Formats: sequence, C-alpha cells, structure tokens
Amino acid sequence: MISRRQLLNKLGGGIAGLALADTLHRQGLAAARLSPLAAKQPHFPAKAKAVISIFCYGGISQIDSFDPKPELLKRQGEAMTGVGEVMVSQGHPGGLMPSPWPFKKYGQCGMDVSDLFPHVAQHADDLALIRSMHCISNDHGPALYQMNTGTILAGHPSVGSWVTYGLGTENENLPGYVVFTDYRGGPINGAPNWGAGYMPAAYQATPFRAQGDPIVDLKPPARRGDAAQKKWLELLGAMNEKHLARNPLDTELSARIYSYELAYKMQIHATEAIDISKETEATRKLYGLDDQPTEYFGRQALMARRLVERGVRFVQLYSGGGNFEPSWDAHFDLKGNHGQHAAEIDKPIAALIKDLKSRGLFDSTLIVFHSEFGRMPISQRMDGRDHNPDGFAVWLAGAGVKGGSIVGATDHYGYRAVENKKSVYDLHATILHLLGMDHEKLTYYFNGRDMRLTDVHGNLIKEVLA
Amino acid sequence: MKLGCLLGFAVTTVLAAQGDLPQQAAAILKKSCVSCHGGGLKMSGLDLTSQDALVTGGSRGAAVVAGKPDSSLLYRLITHQEKPTMPPGSKLSDADLDTLRKWIASGPSLPAAQAAAAPAKPDLSRLEDRPITAEERNYWAFRPPVRREPPPLASNPVDAFLLQAFKAKGLTPSPRAGARTLIRRAYLDLTGLPPTPAEVEDFAQDPSPARWRAVIEKLLASPHYGERWGRHWLDLVRYADSGGFERDFDWPNAWRYRDYVVAAFNKDKPYDVFLREQLAGDEIDSRSNEAMTATGYLRLGLDNNIKNERTRLDELDDLVTTTSVGFLGLTVGCARCHNHKFDPIPQKDYYRMQAVFYSTKGIEHPLVTPEEVAKHKAETKRVRDLQKPLLDAKKEIEEPFRKKLFAERIAALPEYLQIAWKTPPEKRTEGQKLNAEQIEKTLVIKEKEILALLPAGLEKRHAELAAQIEALNQQLPKPYPTARAIAEPGREALPSHFLHRGALDAKGSVMPPGVITVAWNGEFEFPPAPPEAPSSWRRKAFAEWLTSPGNPLTARVMVNRIWQHHFGEGIVRTSSNFGKTGTPPSHPELLDWLATEFIARGWSIKAMHRLMMTSDAYQMASDDIEANLKHDPENRLFWRMPRQRLQAETLRDQILWAAGTLDLAVGGPAVFPHIDPALYQSSTGRTWPGKPDTDPSTWRRSLYVFMKRSIRYPLFEAFDQPDAVNSCDRRNRSTIAPQALLLMNNAFVILQAEKFAERLQKDAGPDPAKQVDLAWRLALSRPPDETELARSVAYLKSGDGTLAQFAQMIFNLNEFAYRQ
Repeated sequence: MISRRQLLNKLGGGIAGLALADTLHRQGLAAARLSPLAAKQPHFPAKAKAVISIFCYGGISQIDSFDPKPELLKRQGEAMTGVGEVMVSQGHPGGLMPSPWPFKKYGQCGMDVSDLFPHVAQHADDLALIRSMHCISNDHGPALYQMNTGTILAGHPSVGSWVTYGLGTENENLPGYVVFTDYRGGPINGAPNWGAGYMPAAYQATPFRAQGDPIVDLKPPARRGDAAQKKWLELLGAMNEKHLARNPLDTELSARIYSYELAYKMQIHATEAIDISKETEATRKLYGLDDQPTEYFGRQALMARRLVERGVRFVQLYSGGGNFEPSWDAHFDLKGNHGQHAAEIDKPIAALIKDLKSRGLFDSTLIVFHSEFGRMPISQRMDGRDHNPDGFAVWLAGAGVKGGSIVGATDHYGYRAVENKKSVYDLHATILHLLGMDHEKLTYYFNGRDMRLTDVHGNLIKEVLA
Repeated sequence: MKLGCLLGFAVTTVLAAQGDLPQQAAAILKKSCVSCHGGGLKMSGLDLTSQDALVTGGSRGAAVVAGKPDSSLLYRLITHQEKPTMPPGSKLSDADLDTLRKWIASGPSLPAAQAAAAPAKPDLSRLEDRPITAEERNYWAFRPPVRREPPPLASNPVDAFLLQAFKAKGLTPSPRAGARTLIRRAYLDLTGLPPTPAEVEDFAQDPSPARWRAVIEKLLASPHYGERWGRHWLDLVRYADSGGFERDFDWPNAWRYRDYVVAAFNKDKPYDVFLREQLAGDEIDSRSNEAMTATGYLRLGLDNNIKNERTRLDELDDLVTTTSVGFLGLTVGCARCHNHKFDPIPQKDYYRMQAVFYSTKGIEHPLVTPEEVAKHKAETKRVRDLQKPLLDAKKEIEEPFRKKLFAERIAALPEYLQIAWKTPPEKRTEGQKLNAEQIEKTLVIKEKEILALLPAGLEKRHAELAAQIEALNQQLPKPYPTARAIAEPGREALPSHFLHRGALDAKGSVMPPGVITVAWNGEFEFPPAPPEAPSSWRRKAFAEWLTSPGNPLTARVMVNRIWQHHFGEGIVRTSSNFGKTGTPPSHPELLDWLATEFIARGWSIKAMHRLMMTSDAYQMASDDIEANLKHDPENRLFWRMPRQRLQAETLRDQILWAAGTLDLAVGGPAVFPHIDPALYQSSTGRTWPGKPDTDPSTWRRSLYVFMKRSIRYPLFEAFDQPDAVNSCDRRNRSTIAPQALLLMNNAFVILQAEKFAERLQKDAGPDPAKQVDLAWRLALSRPPDETELARSVAYLKSGDGTLAQFAQMIFNLNEFAYRQ
C-alpha cells in the first residue's frame, strides 16, 4: 500500500480533470477517507443494488386496494364487534362501510386487487404482498417516522440513510439518496422523514425537483457562463492546492478539494439524469406522461428509473402531500380521494415495473410500496375512513423478491392483522437483507450505543425472499 | 440456569408418570413463563394462564396453533428459532421443550386450575435493582477527582501535565503558532468572529504573553463571547424554536431561554448555579424572571402533538437522557427497559431519576407584574362580554338556514345511513346508533354555505354583526411577554411507576426520587418540601446533588467540554459518555486537576478559558511533525493544535462579517432568512415566513436564525448543524459535494460576495493588488503571499471574473472554512 503522502503527490492534478477521482477509485481506502459515500461491500452477496420506495402518504386503505373483505358488504352499517377495543384517532366511529371498489383475481397467484389498481394488478405475479402489517402509532407524524426511520420518535436516520451509510453509492457524481415529494407539498414532519438523524449530513436524502434544475443551488446564475465558472474553479483550486501543500497529510483538506470536483460534475450529471426529453415516445406514453392525472407522478417514476440506472442507491417517491385532501388521508370522501390518488400512480408504477424489466434492472432493483398505516373498516364522517395502525398491506417487488407470494392476513373485517403478523422492524430487516446487509450487524455508534435501524427487534420476512 | 434445567427435568419426569399433558404443560409455563405472561403482568399482552387467553395470544399474534408446534410462536421462541428468544437469557430443558411440543401437537389445552395459580400482583422487586460491586464503584469516573500537584515541568499546570506525557511517549510539542494564526484562533474560539485587520496587525507587532492575556480578557468581556459559547450549550440541550412532531408548532418565545444562556455565559454565572437554575429555578426563586426562564430547559424536548401517558413517558425519557448525557456524561437513558448493559446503572436508577421530573408541567411565566396580568385579564373579559350578545344575534340569523342545509345533506346520504338517521333512537341497532351519532357530530354546515343563502336584508344585518365583533377583537389587549417555564401541581409529587421492560402494561412499584447510585456514596436524601411549597422540591434536591463537590462527574464533564471546544477533542473523547463504552481519559491526572480547579475557582467557566488559553499547549502550531505522527497519529496527547472546520453558524457569520454587512445586535426574537420553498414543502402549521436575502434584518448572527425542527436552514444543515432532537456533544464534520454547491451557487452567498466586493472597492480603491490584499486580511486574517497576490491580480486583470466572483472564491477557500 502506498503512503498517504505518495498518494497525495499523485493527486496533484487539481480541479481540472478526472485524474484525481480515478486515482481515488483505484485506491478504495483513500477514496473512503475522502468521501463518506464511496461504494462499500455488503455483508453478503445480494441481488438488490438499489431501492425505489413508493410512499403513499396519508394512509392508503388496505381494504379498498389489496385486502378484499366481502364481509363488509354483507354487514354494511353494522357495528364492528368482537375485535376488542376499537381505537379511532378522530372520534365518532360509524358502522362497517363496504369498499366502493370491486376486487378481481389476477395472475397465476390469483391475487385479489381492487379496481383502484388495474395496471399494477397486471404484475400480480411480481409482487410479494404482505397483508398482516402493523405499526405502533395511529398518528401520521410518529407513524411516518416509524415507517421511515424505525422508531416513532424524531432524530433517527431514515432507511435510505442506513442504506447509503452501509453501501455508499455507485455513482458519486449524483447524490446517493434522492427524494421526490408530491406536487401538492411534502408529507408532515418534513425533511426528518428522509433525514440522517444523528448520522453525518452525507447520508441524508437530497430533495429532487421534477422540473427545472433538479437540486436547489445546483448551478450558478445564468449570467455567469460555464467558461467563467471553470476559470473560477481553477483559481480556487490553485489556492487550495497551495494551502494543501503546507499541510500535505490532512485528508480533510484533500476531501474538501475533491468535493468541489464532485460538485462540478454533479451539475452536469444531475441535470442529465432527470432529462427525460431523450426518452422515446413509447416510454413516455408507458408512464402516462401524455395524460394529465399521471403526468406528474409518471415523470418522477421515470426519473427514478433513470437515477437507479445511473447508480443512485435509494430513491423515495411520495404520493400525496400536505394534509387531508391532498394526501391519502381520506377521513371523508374515500371514493373521491383514493380514486384520484390511485389514478395518478397506478399506471406509472406498472410502467416502472415493466420498464425496469425490459432494461434488465428489475433483478437489481427493489421496489417497496407502502404507507405509514392503513385505514378502518368502519366509516368516518359518513363516507371516509379513519387511521388504522393495527392492520395494513405493503408489497415488495424486484430484486430477490418472490413474486406472487401473499403473506399473512387481517381479521374478517380487515381491522387487525391476526395471521403471521409483520412489524415495521420486520419489513426493515427484510429490506436490508435484500441489499446484502444483516440488520443486526449494520450499526452506528451514537451516544454510547451501537444504534440499529431495527433497534433490538426485527425478524426477516422469509416468505417474500426468492 | 443449571439448577433451572434440573428442576425442569424434575417437573417433567414427575408429571410424565401421571400421563397428563395439560398438567405438565401448565406446570412448565407456571415455572418459566407466567411470572411475566400471566396474572397482573401480561407482557406483550400475552396471558398463559387460561385457555381463552392462550388461543387469543398477545400483541404478536396467536401463541399456539393447535397441532402445529413449528408454526406456533410460543414454540418458535422457546426453541430459539426466532427472536426474542424465551425465557430471556436462558432456555428450557430439552425434556420440557419436548413436553410442550407434544402438548401443542395434541391440541393444547390448559387445566382450569391454572388461572388461580397465577400470582395476583406482579413482583418486580427482583427486576428493579441490581447490586453494585466495589469494583464497579472503583471505575475512574465514579471516584471523586483526586488533585495531584502538577509535575514541576512548566508554570502552567496544563503544560506540566501534558509535558509529562510527551516525555513518556517521546513526543515533541509543537512550536508556538504565528501571531496572526494565534489571534484568529482566539477570536474564532471565544466569539466566533474573526479579528479586524487592525487588531491582527496590532498583535503581530507584539505577540508577547502580556498582550496575549490582554487579547483573551478583551474577548471574554465581549458580548459576543456568550453568543459563541451559548451555542455550544444549546447543542447539548438540543435547543430549538419549535416543538417538532407533525405539527411542529412554533415556540415564539423560546428565544428567552436562548438569551438567558447567552447572558449566563457573558456574566460568567457559576456553572453550579447555572445548572441549578435550569433544573429547579422555580423551586429556588419563583419571583425571579431569570430563574423561571432558566427552567425553559425542562421544556426543550420534542413536544408530541398527541398527549397521553405513553407520549408523556417519551418526553420524560428525552429529558432524563438529555440531562444525564449532558450534565453527567452518563447514558442513563439506556436503562429505561433493563439494567444498563455496560455501566452499573440499574433500571431502578432510571425510574428514580424519572420520578424527579415526573410532576413537571409547562407553563407560560409572565414577565410582567401580577398587576399587569390582572389588568390584562379584566380587559379581555370586558371585550368578551361586549361580544357575547352580538355573537348570539348572529347565530340566531344563521340557525334556520343551517337546519335547511342539514336536511338536504341527509337526503344525499347512502340509503342505509338515511335509515339509521330516521330510525327512532330507541329502535336503532348498535350500528345505527354509531352511524346516527356520527352524522350528528360530523355533518357540519359551514358559515360560508349559509351566507350564500341569506336574503339581502339578513345578509346586511349579518355583515354588520360580524364587523362589530371584529372591531371589538381589535380592542383585545396585546398579549404580555412570557417565558416558557415549568411548574408542578403541588407539594405532593404525582406517583410514577417502575416499568418493567419500559412497558406501560408492566407497571411495578411507585418510585421515590433518587440519584445515580454508583455516583454517590450512600443514600442521597431528598428532603420534604416546606409546608407551603408549590412543588415537591425534588428537582432542587437533585440539582444540589448534581452540583455538590462530592459529585464525581459534573465538574469533570464540563471541564472536558471546555477543553474539547478549545483543543478539538476532549481529554475524554466521548465527551457525553464517561461510561465503560466511552474512551478513557488520555490525561486522567490533568482532567482531575482541572475538575478540582474548576470547583475551587467557584465553577467559573471564564477562569477555565484563561487557564487553558494561556497554556503553551493552546498556542501550538497545527503543522505536521512526522516523528510525532508515527507515535500518535491522532494527536491523542495534544502535541499540536488540530485544524478545525468552522461550525455552520461561524461560517455564515464570517461571510457576513467579511462582507461588512453583519448586524451585531445581541439577543431578541429569532429571524427568518430566505429558504427556497422547494426545500420545505409547507403544510398545515409548517410555514417559513422567510424574508428576502436582500433584507438586512436577516443579516444577524446565525445564532438568531429561527431553529424550526422540520425546516432546517440549508446552509446549516449541509454543514452539520445538529438536528435539535438529540443532545449533541460534538458536531459531525462531513465534507460533501452539496456544501460546495451551496457556497458556489446559493443566492445569499452570491449576494454577500457582491457586498464584500463593494466593500473592497470602497475601502481599497480601484487597484486590484490593494483589493486582493484587503480581501485576504479581512477573510483570512493575514496578507496574501506573493504567488497568491500575483495569481489573484492576474485573474482580476484578465477579465476572467468580476471582483464579486473573486470575493466569492475567498468564501470557498479551505483556509476560510478552517481555523488552525
């Protein structure tokens, strides 16, 4: 192994070229010292290299999408009994309310999916559906934290942070972890949903915009041309190199010089990564970019594919933003609310699966479709449903996932998970496992403890593993 | 465990003879499981004492599946096929496992007698305590500091102890740093602001020890000292201006606590008093606004929007954790669910410490006289009384239209709901009752809908009433200023319980208040509060224990923090964890000497600055010494002053300072500089009333930027400002591309670079060489050398970039972002 001094002598190239980065990538150790996001080996070999999380914020109703309950129609208007204490978040529980959407069977596996998701349903044999999820809180904030960070309290790193901390990124010219929020606004809690908590800022998500420059402050004002920026970076580089020469062993200073090279390259690569103008007409149509309801989410789903294709490790897409109507939080008018939201994302999600497959990326990309909790079988405000943390559905698809599997069950109303119950910790342990990481070994030392995404919990959901 | 196996074997063999599986199973469950899963204590909601409960299972689902042992959760856990393995920390004998396997396979049933056999009340005494051994008490951090005379190697004791270690390790201490480096170091360390070029040159002329001491005195007397060191404290107590959680409500007066902290550092409030006021200011002097404001500390944690017993316990956990890591350097929070895994902190200690804070509740403490409060109340009542008849009259107009609209909406409901509504209440089914009540409570007609129906005459009258009501609103008195503070319901503390495994459904005995057992010799007395006291005085007693000279941790932890902020790392590197999983002190004798000196000097923080900063060690250069690097590459023995990346706030302050735009006003309400709305995606309750970058009122020091927990100021977030959720003892120092992008392209940075350029133009004139020279002196506290000057002048003269672009280049220099 060469000494740090020798290495740094080799690095003398400055801002101008790729020489520095290339040298570093040949020197894994040095690269890791210079960049916290350098790619790392997983604990064991795994198929999944990247994750796309599709988060239906507000709480998608399991009994109106992936968990049919014919009992609700039979007993329409009756009180829900025999299920223990019924916990509602906003008071005034009504009687049982049937789903406005019929269910049909799809695929070899015969999975029941409602008419809210006719396109996704075409891929039933690719989905591993878990119908027995449960979580702790029936309140959006804590439940979002739990689904995103493992605990119901703020201050902990998100799943994407753990993944980029554990694996780094495949492409340092782009952020390793990207989040797209809904056009109506972000989810409640804000940025801590994709924050790094007590970990360094390097592991938090970078919010991407689906229009214009993808990253805030990516580019200098237009009045400064690219040539001027290059001259400017040369001057800065020369001064910093001179400073470094007086302190040649300080890797922090070298890392900071390197970060300007990355920043410059990110201007080009991030813009290119979300430039969907070069996609074929057929692809654009597939994602529904030609149609108003699907246009926005379709763009984001397509951008997610492009990012994953370019080595981004974790992409999170939100459907729903703000409070009540703009999110899946259908306290009233379930039909209008879920009807609109599903119409926006159903076709793009199906397109994403198909597109990833046709490009050979489905085998290396894990898709997670989830929400912070589910909804109640009984009515609220006459035609809505309240929050339900005791039973809801999520599905996984892609790398390492056994398509067509259906895990667990809720009771005959769809209220509580009763059979083969799965916790959020179990889901997180499984996501890490699919990426080649042992959730008990992936730790980060903080305030006297080796912290884990799954705290002291988590069992692999083996039923969904291929 | 061995004994358990033997006993288990015995149970099985004896009962096997009787050939009764349910009896045998019940006996095994009773012996090994029922103490936690039955009777008064149903851990995870699981009750193994009755047939019904067995089938229902617990929160993790059914315990047994008849006929299928390997699919039964109970069997999977006791055979350690799945976690959590049961019983905790042991395993049943093979014979018992085999019996239970057969029992489940045969369709598990329990004899009725089992229920009666369960203990009626949980006996948790065994779980609440653990003995503390003499060896554990002998751990360095739990022994009181011992003051040893410094070795006779140097006049400053700091140097004496360090030199001793250098000698032992064969290290050469670094030479004194250059005068310009030194004065920049002192300024940034004590005030977070650089020296002016004149101050630099002045010191460079005569960097004698006497002048050095004069510089330190000047800085310690500066009001900006408290801003800088207050910020370190705010990191530790996770200060923010909003409550977090989903609504993230603003705390518009939280800054009063921040100003209290700044003032405390500025007036060198003795550290023991500082701690006592924050923990028990109300019990020390409830008439003192200062002491009351200090108790705002107890309310800095996240404020859950849902209020129930569980969320209250989480808030208390946050407080116990922050107080213990922050003031004691102990991770007591780890003992919430079990005895601490590494340190001798019993779970009992956690709940005794929780009992200290259990009765507190937040209040808004008026910062005006009681007379003014009474006047405000009377004036409010006067206005409300005038509004009452107007409101009634308005309602009377609305009512008939409300009824009409209500009937229309009912008619539009699905048939089964209409039937439920129309069915007479006494004839409604259970479901109809629920639905009818839901309709009654949630079918709301909005005023807007009624207004659309009002005929002209009524509409006019309605509008008049609304205007009169609104006019009276204007007469309501303005709210008086308050501070976030704490109170208790009375002299008797509310009872708080030991919680087995931290679970609410596993309550043990009521806990008395207590201190950390291992950190005190004997039992610490919590004296009863005086008869007329409005609170329990538990916090006052706890604070007295915390700050008593016999406490082995408090002084050590604080001097170590002061050291860390001067020398880059602490003598104990894990400065909030002095326990076994932390790092041991590199210089235990020095740490102890400093701790005793701190107390001897009346807990004066400024005295510690003087002591440390006048040492040769503090004045050392940062350069590499190759021989030293071989023996101590990480500078654990402090043979040089490490280079330190500036904190996010200092970086921004320094930009404003160099540009000449920094508003140096001290204290007051927080400011809202511009944040790109794309970054915060506002929603209900989550707004950021940002002002444009060009608004000089936002050019305050970074300490005064509103700290909203869900909306972080991007420059701060990128440069590792902590998230104000967890106590932060040492900031992360990451180096990432988004930081570069911000300093290259952010509109605020560009604007300030333009201001910097204007200043250079104005103060240095049109000559590029003079402009470059001044830029270097303002931003880096030194003149440029020949190459730097030549290269910069060439850049400006060639027209490659403007003076503003050059100025912004300065903000991006490595040297600008570090202090050495």
